[in-house]
Amino acid sequence: MRWERYILPLSILLVWQGLSSLGAIPGHLVPSPYKIILGFKDLVTIGMPPGHLLHDHIRYSLYRVAAGFGIAALTGIPLGLLMGWSSRLRGMVGPLIELLRPIPPLAWIPIAILWFGIGIKSAAFIIFLGAFFPVLLNTISGVVSINPLFLEAAKTLNASEKDIFLKVLLPGSIPSIFVGMRIGVGIGWMTLVAAEFTGVKAGYGLGYMIMTARDIQRPDEILAGMFVIGVIGLLINWGLRICESRIIRWR
Amino acid sequence: MSGISKSYGGERGGERVPVLKDIRYRIDHGKFVSLIGPSGCGKTTLLRIIAGLEKASSGRLFLEGREIAYGKDLIGLVFQEYALFPWRTALQNIEMGLEIMGVPRRQRLGAAIEYVRGFGLSGFENRYPHELSGGMQQRVAIARTLIMKPRLVLMDEPFGSLDSQTRNEMQEFILQVWQQRGDTIIFVTHNVDEAVFLSDRIVVLSRRPATISRSFEIDCPRPRDRTSLECNAFRRAVLEELRKERKIGG
Amino acid sequence: MKNGIFVSTLMFVLLMTTVIPGEAGTKPIRLAYLQSDIHQLACWVALDKGFFTQEGVEVEVAGIFKAGPEEMSAFAAGALDMGYVGEAPSTTAVANGVARVTVLAQVNTEGSAIVVPEDAHPQGLQDLKGRRVAVPGHSTVQDFLLRKAFKRFGVDPGEVRVIVLKPPEMIGALRTKQIYAFIAWEPYPAKAQTLSVGKVLLTSRQIWEDHPCCVLVAENGFLQARPQEARAVVRAHVRATDFINRHRESAVKIGVKYTGMDEETVRLAMDNVNYTYRLSVEGEREYVNFLAQLKYIKTDDVGAFVKRFIDQDMLKEILR
Repeated sequence: MRWERYILPLSILLVWQGLSSLGAIPGHLVPSPYKIILGFKDLVTIGMPPGHLLHDHIRYSLYRVAAGFGIAALTGIPLGLLMGWSSRLRGMVGPLIELLRPIPPLAWIPIAILWFGIGIKSAAFIIFLGAFFPVLLNTISGVVSINPLFLEAAKTLNASEKDIFLKVLLPGSIPSIFVGMRIGVGIGWMTLVAAEFTGVKAGYGLGYMIMTARDIQRPDEILAGMFVIGVIGLLINWGLRICESRIIRWR
Repeated sequence: MSGISKSYGGERGGERVPVLKDIRYRIDHGKFVSLIGPSGCGKTTLLRIIAGLEKASSGRLFLEGREIAYGKDLIGLVFQEYALFPWRTALQNIEMGLEIMGVPRRQRLGAAIEYVRGFGLSGFENRYPHELSGGMQQRVAIARTLIMKPRLVLMDEPFGSLDSQTRNEMQEFILQVWQQRGDTIIFVTHNVDEAVFLSDRIVVLSRRPATISRSFEIDCPRPRDRTSLECNAFRRAVLEELRKERKIGG
Repeated sequence: MKNGIFVSTLMFVLLMTTVIPGEAGTKPIRLAYLQSDIHQLACWVALDKGFFTQEGVEVEVAGIFKAGPEEMSAFAAGALDMGYVGEAPSTTAVANGVARVTVLAQVNTEGSAIVVPEDAHPQGLQDLKGRRVAVPGHSTVQDFLLRKAFKRFGVDPGEVRVIVLKPPEMIGALRTKQIYAFIAWEPYPAKAQTLSVGKVLLTSRQIWEDHPCCVLVAENGFLQARPQEARAVVRAHVRATDFINRHRESAVKIGVKYTGMDEETVRLAMDNVNYTYRLSVEGEREYVNFLAQLKYIKTDDVGAFVKRFIDQDMLKEILR
């Protein structure tokens, strides 16, 4: 049933609002849902900091994530395809990847600011780091786990190495590539907001907005902002899924 | 094609498990030959070696007097699991080999459409494999192989995943196609009825390590009646041979 | 038999836990201050010279914050009892109902500056138009001062790109030309000068003379429960402030210890700061009005708010 999925969140909201109205929840720490909605209205009309409206913050954040994720995809997918194809390359590059992967993107922030300053380049770099590894690893996995049957069928049709790469490995790993992209963009989005906490040259960005709401002591706007971040993350994922189903019609 | 002789002897596997031992045979051009044998005896391995997917530990294969040049000569292989590329439509699967060869688009499509029609796939050419029935998928696979005009057609239990009714239909289908074209076919099966119905010759392989234990000439005239006395006689003979093999193995 | 022993042991333990820590004054006072903020030198002097202990209270440093708003969040979370903090962030937090604190004494007036690059030739504040200026946070005293300066010198805030950076990062950003100017509390402007990275465009005195800056606040719950201890802290604070004004050199040394900066910088910084404990109600009113104008807070009755926010009586009593 479609409506069943709304039962849980709605009941939580109702209970929460009830408890807040009764004063059982401290209003200065946990604003009521109603206050949060008003806070959302303020974000849209007045802005946080005042004068910086929500839609501009969203625009800047999306722009940063697109840049960082774009680079991650453009480097991760080809490298992943090559590494999936050549076990030798995997052996050479793999250890370095495994060394860098566990370092949380946020730990790179001081270095990123040192190298790239406090503008979009350092934000894009942090997001790139978050998105790159899922894209790379899922692409590699997509290639490596292709049913060997398809490789054999191609060989019996006298396919060259190049043919196998372009006509079998590449199309065959597209589902995994999409999985990697969805995970990568999700991590990139989460990382972005945290990356924007520290120094944003343009004065716009959802993370920056939330930090400012914290500075100006507006927990209602903080929570409204968090909600916006969650919704956008959801929409991005949804959008990718739609792309995926358009491109992959063969399942 | 005057004939193929395989003189071959093999020990293979990392643990030195002998699978095929000194297979020698000659197949004449245009004949339909079945390979039959107890399960796991290595008939698939033999087929894969001929196809070029695996290497023999020793021995050589000759095609019309010369050794096979893999990569130039085309040895077709039809898989039991069809092995159709799921991201390609039926038509695109059929033209895959031509695409690899570099045949220009127009010609490719023309040839592929002919096969679509000839194999009864009209209306389904733009469907993806997962949308097709087992029988149709196998027909696509066969078309994909035959469109290349291979020197040799290998089939590895191609109808094994089909229900018996479809299976019978496919057997008639392949006979029809073969009779029109005259390809040389090596057909692996474990189904004696099938082998008797289809083949000019049946080669029985022994248990592992497999050698050729016996070869039967099926000179029943075609079209064959599955239930005829002659067919039955051959069936009995082959089954008997197989039983012997099992007993020897203990 | 066993049951009986268990129950009496339990009751004994419970009794002990209720009796022993229940006495007021045995829990140290959780105090906070801002990192490397020379305005709050009195706090460091009091700690260093043991003034708190001498006044009969035990103080623990429960937080050192990068900027005022962060400290106010800690008050909101109930993690602090008293703190040295800017008047603007504390006003914002209280006006927005997030924290409940009361101002007990002034800590300093003035003591900030707008800094531009060393090699700049500014004609005036107009130079900031179209450029990037860093503040330590929105609704800090410095943010407030900057906007007051815009108003006073006729600069349209819309034409200046104000961003937030933590003071330690400001000098680096100035040096690498990521920002054109910053406004921060001493000793950061002094440091920029001694490093020859920047020079002062305007001091806060020039923006608003004798403006109140940092204050000593107490969390309302704590104030109600332990007023004598709060008083003791204020007394120690008064002594420390007098000490700074009478024994400059010793104060410099303590400043060096707590900021980690060299004597020259600290001395230069202290010259820009006015250490006093006298409260300014007028100044607070100014803050409230301006913050409301900026839409950071909403208040209906400015007078009532200021009265609630500042407790003048305690200080008056102490000074008598």
